[in-house]
Amino acid sequence: MIKTDVLVIGGGPAGLAAAIEAHKNGAKVILIERESRLGGILKQCIHDGFGLVRFEEKLSGPEYAERFIDEFRELHIEALLLTFVTKVQKTESGFVATVVNRDGVMDIEAKSLILATGCRERTAKQVFIHGTRPAGVFTAGTAQHFTNLLGELPTKKCVILGSGDIGLIMARRLTLEGAKVLGVYEVKPTPSGLTRNIHQCLNDFDIPLHLSHTVTRVFGVDRLEGVEVAKVDENMRAIPGTEEYIECDALILSVGLIPENEIAENLGVEIDPKTKGPKCDASLMTSVPGIFSCGNALHVNDLVDYVSESGETAGRSAALFSGKERKMASVIPGDKILYIVPQKLDTLSVGSETVVYFRSKEVYDDSIFRITVDGETVFEKKYAFLRPPEMEKVIVDFSKCGLSENSKISAEIEVTVK
Amino acid sequence: MANILKIQKKLSKRFGDRVKAELDGDIIRLSGSLSDWSEVVEACLMSSEKNSNIHVVNDIEFTGAEIPKMRVPSLSDDELEGKTPDVLVIGGGISGCAIARELSKWNINVMLVEKEADFALQASGRNDGEVHVGVDLSKGSLKQKYVLLGNRMYDKVCEDLDVPFERIGQYACFTQSYLYIPVWLLVQWRRFHDGVTDARVVGRKKMLEDNPTFNKDFKFAMYNGLAGVVCPYGLTIAYAENAAENGVEAYLNTAVLSMDTENGEIKAVHTNRGTIYPKIVVNAAGVFSDDVAEMANDRFYSIHPRRGTNSIQDKKAARLINTIASVQLIGKQTFSKAHTKGGGLIRTVHGNVLAGPDAVETFDKEDISTRPESIKTVYDKQKQTIKEVSERDIITYFTGVRAPTFEEDFVIEWGRRCKNMLHCGGIQSPGLTAAPAFALDIEKMIVDELSKSMKVERNESFNPKRHGVPVLNEMSPEERAKKIAENPDYGVIICRCEEISKGEIIDALERPLCPPTVDAIKKRIRPGMGRCQGGFCSPLVTKIIAEHENIKISDVRKASAESVICFGETKGGALND
Amino acid sequence: MSTREMVCITCPRGCTMQVEQFDGAIKVTGNFCKRGEQFAVNELTMPMRTICSTVKTSFPESPVLPCRVSKDIPKDKIFDVMNEINRVVVTERISRGDVIIKNVLGLDADVISTSDLLRKGE
Repeated sequence: MIKTDVLVIGGGPAGLAAAIEAHKNGAKVILIERESRLGGILKQCIHDGFGLVRFEEKLSGPEYAERFIDEFRELHIEALLLTFVTKVQKTESGFVATVVNRDGVMDIEAKSLILATGCRERTAKQVFIHGTRPAGVFTAGTAQHFTNLLGELPTKKCVILGSGDIGLIMARRLTLEGAKVLGVYEVKPTPSGLTRNIHQCLNDFDIPLHLSHTVTRVFGVDRLEGVEVAKVDENMRAIPGTEEYIECDALILSVGLIPENEIAENLGVEIDPKTKGPKCDASLMTSVPGIFSCGNALHVNDLVDYVSESGETAGRSAALFSGKERKMASVIPGDKILYIVPQKLDTLSVGSETVVYFRSKEVYDDSIFRITVDGETVFEKKYAFLRPPEMEKVIVDFSKCGLSENSKISAEIEVTVK
Repeated sequence: MANILKIQKKLSKRFGDRVKAELDGDIIRLSGSLSDWSEVVEACLMSSEKNSNIHVVNDIEFTGAEIPKMRVPSLSDDELEGKTPDVLVIGGGISGCAIARELSKWNINVMLVEKEADFALQASGRNDGEVHVGVDLSKGSLKQKYVLLGNRMYDKVCEDLDVPFERIGQYACFTQSYLYIPVWLLVQWRRFHDGVTDARVVGRKKMLEDNPTFNKDFKFAMYNGLAGVVCPYGLTIAYAENAAENGVEAYLNTAVLSMDTENGEIKAVHTNRGTIYPKIVVNAAGVFSDDVAEMANDRFYSIHPRRGTNSIQDKKAARLINTIASVQLIGKQTFSKAHTKGGGLIRTVHGNVLAGPDAVETFDKEDISTRPESIKTVYDKQKQTIKEVSERDIITYFTGVRAPTFEEDFVIEWGRRCKNMLHCGGIQSPGLTAAPAFALDIEKMIVDELSKSMKVERNESFNPKRHGVPVLNEMSPEERAKKIAENPDYGVIICRCEEISKGEIIDALERPLCPPTVDAIKKRIRPGMGRCQGGFCSPLVTKIIAEHENIKISDVRKASAESVICFGETKGGALND
Repeated sequence: MSTREMVCITCPRGCTMQVEQFDGAIKVTGNFCKRGEQFAVNELTMPMRTICSTVKTSFPESPVLPCRVSKDIPKDKIFDVMNEINRVVVTERISRGDVIIKNVLGLDADVISTSDLLRKGE
């Protein structure tokens, strides 16, 4: 059996950063990657805008990933490519992962485990699109794979459902390749993607964005021939009589991402229904000691820079993991908070620089984000605006508030001006 | 004999002079004109007698909409021109494929044609995969006869054909204590009169002990341990493959368009791929069986298509159920009249949970589109079976169209006005369960008939055993390692959700009769069947197919010739084509 | 005089600004910082954009290679530059950062590879 200190599952930006950081903290690291190349989804994200926070440069996805891959290689960290984890079991001394690859089946024993498994896209059926089942219904990521990795055009004339960033990016990408993007339809009254993507991917190319609209049906037996769109009411239900038929050859979906946590769930890791990722403490350790989570498996990030950052936190924590006792207190999000990470704090090892990520539930102007412990404010920050598509990051000092298991830690957003 | 005057009186009372009934030999022919399809169905049903072999033939003109014509593949060639099979089987569903396979035991020339791009693409691939016990059926119908026989054949058939099958039992659950005695009596009747020997009643305590997630309001259930689950398209494809391995010629994308008949005998069968001259034609054309009968001037029954939608849930939902279960709603579905008898919630043979189906009459035989109200109907009902069942766990849904006659029984007999057509029509649920059994009877009917004009000998090289593509993720680590050592592609996982390797995909492509399409691979070995629904693996599968077939990626199809996935290269390539 | 609303995309803050234009002068309000004003003026006078795309290669295992322009180009030249990009076929195993088209259309920007995809051993 192969033995290691830290086993990283996933070779995308989170896993790479985690492996590098765990290695730098003295651990022996093995990274498992399903595909033949490292880099994860960034391999197909050829657009720019990555690394603004970290490198203060606008890099493309491959460039960003390859900076980490170069470092990973220079440090001679072991990676098993084209290798798939079929099972992970908890043992007395840690974990045993069973993997398959072209060499066969093998077990790897590790003291700690980092789950950097990323996320998957919500599908047409998960947003209850009805009608026929023709070719030509793609998630944005699938369309991106065809276009950017295989060099194949999956549509000549399409409608995009969902204004998530990948959808917006693909609207521009397909337009540049000569396809016609007839419009982007968003069920919510506000866009899901970043403002700069609305501007540079849609406005620049006169692609209309239809808010409070959805696709209700698809048509076509063999290849998609058209879609029916409709206005929706405030409960996001289609309003009868507003249906409109649009002739097109593809429907591209950018309707949300779901963290992939099947391995975590099988190991009994507690999942946060809000993030759909594991509930973690500030070290990004999950409810199961020795298992760490980072990147989009932890929660769906808006910027890759934060993915790498959480990978580094998880990597460092996993390398230094000693199995010492934790006494946990929960962070309770208020009703204006969509989610908050970490969801728990280990009161026995409270840091003075705890990184906290959160998203607001709706668009709020002039508001205050506040964290209180037993009613006492320990952190406060004013925001001129908060938008759900944009994740916020703050650094909080919890070291001076005498946290205990019984502490009531609350996070809330107070809107100061209507 | 049907009392045509009585029928006409009923029709006049309901429809005035809009519908007319006449006795035409041994059929009840309805004519007239109606604009509402539900009225057409109503008129025919009120004129029919359940399980009767005097069938209602629907000649009522439907004016409410244009009934779509049968979709025909775009392919046109003369590949089959002049072929003279002893038996031509029309239809590559469970019936046609099972019949072809049983016929392959004989040294006769058997050809099967299917108009779709793959087998089991209509009702046989769009149902809930339940292997029924027949507790809802009384003696006297073909359905009842064959469901009992078929159910008991499943272990052997699935073992021979290397198809997964499990008897997971079925609960029909009741919330009303006062029904205990009538249900108990019914169960006794079924056991001792109708031969459903394993039916029994289980009490609340035992039921909830074995199935803790069931609705706590249930008082008792009717239980059948012989009920099972199978992959319906998997079994159909396995039958087809085994038929091909034993000498049957099968052709996809081949539609029967018309026939030449002479003196009540089919002389020639015209297809989009040439004219075939068979001795015997087996009509296993599903929803189109009445249309095929018409081609031979032998339409003595009518199909009224009935849509049913099923949804599939993530494997995670399988913690909720490990059997087949359904709440019994009084007045509608309890004892008879049920157009959807089985279904409910089913833990499928692949470990998902299936919910459904519903039952909606339609005039469009190929309307496989889904509608939100179908999902709602099913979930409203099945949340009464298991409260935690949720639409949120749905990963996909699909619609199939059943092919019932108005008498609701199978039609398995020689033609009445055409000597050499053998009908296997009106096959609907429990057709999947019944097919292995009626295929044997049809085999005998055909062999007896052919023996009159030729010497029919056993096919000495017939091998009933099929070996499917190995399923690596079900193997022990040692077995798996051994397979990977033989072929390293078995170690390259392409579909992460269902854990399918590149080696398995290539194996599937090399199986007999496998069309090189994304859907065909998905149906055979499941890449794309999981929670991401092919989001990650469909480009990879497309690429593997292109490489294996040595074609361009843009030439790979989802299913039919028109189901283009990519239009060609970027950089202007696709657009300049 | 014309007034239009513009969302600044210089940073994630995304200020919504009112931009007034009269007699060749541009007045910007609603911006949080100086960069907003600069952005608005640029958008009205000389909007610049980057392009990220792929170029064809002669290597079957990697039929396309990601690329971008080394610096922003005028927005109205996007499709002209795309036409140039679409004409190229990379036949050498070039590295990340290597120039694919030098000084494309004389715009003082190069089209460069953004991946080591083609490098042997990758």
